[in-house]
Amino acid sequence: RGGGRGGGRGGAGGMKGGAKVKVETHRFPGFFIARGKEDALCSLNSTPGEAVYGEKRISVENPDGQKAEYRVWNPFRSKIAAAVLGGVKDIWIQPGSKVLYLGAASGTTVSHVSDVVGPEGKVYAVEFSHRVGRDLINVAKKRTNIVPIIEDARYPHKYRMLVPMVDVVFADVAQPDQARIVAMNSHQFLKAGGHFVISIKANCIDSTAEPSAVFAREVKKLQEEKFKPKEQITLEPYERDHAVVVGAYRASKKKSE
Amino acid sequence: MVDYVLFESAAGYALFERIEHDEIASQLDQVQEAVADFARFAKLIKLKAFVPFLSAENALENINDVSEGIMSNHLKTFLEMNLPKVKEGKKSSFKLGVLHPVIGSSIQENLGITCVSNETVNELARGIRLHFNIFVKDLSENDLGQAQLGLGHSYSRCKVKFNVNRVDNMII
Repeated sequence: RGGGRGGGRGGAGGMKGGAKVKVETHRFPGFFIARGKEDALCSLNSTPGEAVYGEKRISVENPDGQKAEYRVWNPFRSKIAAAVLGGVKDIWIQPGSKVLYLGAASGTTVSHVSDVVGPEGKVYAVEFSHRVGRDLINVAKKRTNIVPIIEDARYPHKYRMLVPMVDVVFADVAQPDQARIVAMNSHQFLKAGGHFVISIKANCIDSTAEPSAVFAREVKKLQEEKFKPKEQITLEPYERDHAVVVGAYRASKKKSE
Repeated sequence: MVDYVLFESAAGYALFERIEHDEIASQLDQVQEAVADFARFAKLIKLKAFVPFLSAENALENINDVSEGIMSNHLKTFLEMNLPKVKEGKKSSFKLGVLHPVIGSSIQENLGITCVSNETVNELARGIRLHFNIFVKDLSENDLGQAQLGLGHSYSRCKVKFNVNRVDNMII
């Protein structure tokens, strides 16, 4: 659809409307909603004045006279944004979180996650492709809470020196053995009681089966690996045949019983 | 049963020693239960030695070796200094837990130290990873974070640089 782009005013100023745009907090800490001509999900820009991938920026003046800049987070380009706007119950990524991000690509969504977790949090961003990895490294240069890791997520032991125990594992690796990749990384780096958020593209796992069957199979694989999937949503209308599964890892038995 | 555990961090190498305890429950259960609580975990294992990397270049050389499963000279010296001596051509009487079998075989070949990597070692490493900056007294969480950040950049830059053809090495 691409509504609201450019819209006559042109340039990067599309969403800038001074006092006309209001930014409200989302029910998830660290996420924001800009209320203007059209509502948009956004994150508080940790590097004001700079866009990461040409996204729109919204500058607003808070009641106390302080200026704050937000970056619009496009759900058509980011699975996390799509999941949040799709009404996921909890995304677990919040200010102060340590996140292991598998399939970081060029770092567009990673930059928003970096905004959300803030200066107290960290994003350990793993990407294997050297082509987009260069962009990821450049994003990480300006945002010091991102640790870039150009390595294959199938071999977590190769980057075991770089990653501490984390609160959340997010995966968007689009590989047939995704569940195994997430499991291996979690066994090594995810805290007991930590959470996982996995984006599953049905086509990448099995292009012949029904998407719903593929999702069910992946959820089952996760259950066999100490994961407790709690929620599953599809990413319509932002992505086709995609699901995001959210849940807990090694959840304490006492609590759940 | 492992007697020592080798833990590789962004700041340097660390060697942990298992403390004697009654083996009532299975080792694995006991470790799994104790990991989250430092006070309990510290009854299972203690820091024997820690050696920091000498410089950023030194750290980069070591992470490249570790990820390929090679024992660097830095690691060799560290192990020789801090583990009981093993007679030439003989096997050690103690067992060293390592996180990956390849580096284990490299250590075993060169130093004759029997290396083990199994689920118990993994669980111990989870606990060490969780409490690492408490075990190593002069290393704050912030220091460790900075070490990871610096090393992450240099490791990744090095990976990207070596790929002259600028093509993706996709594994399908």
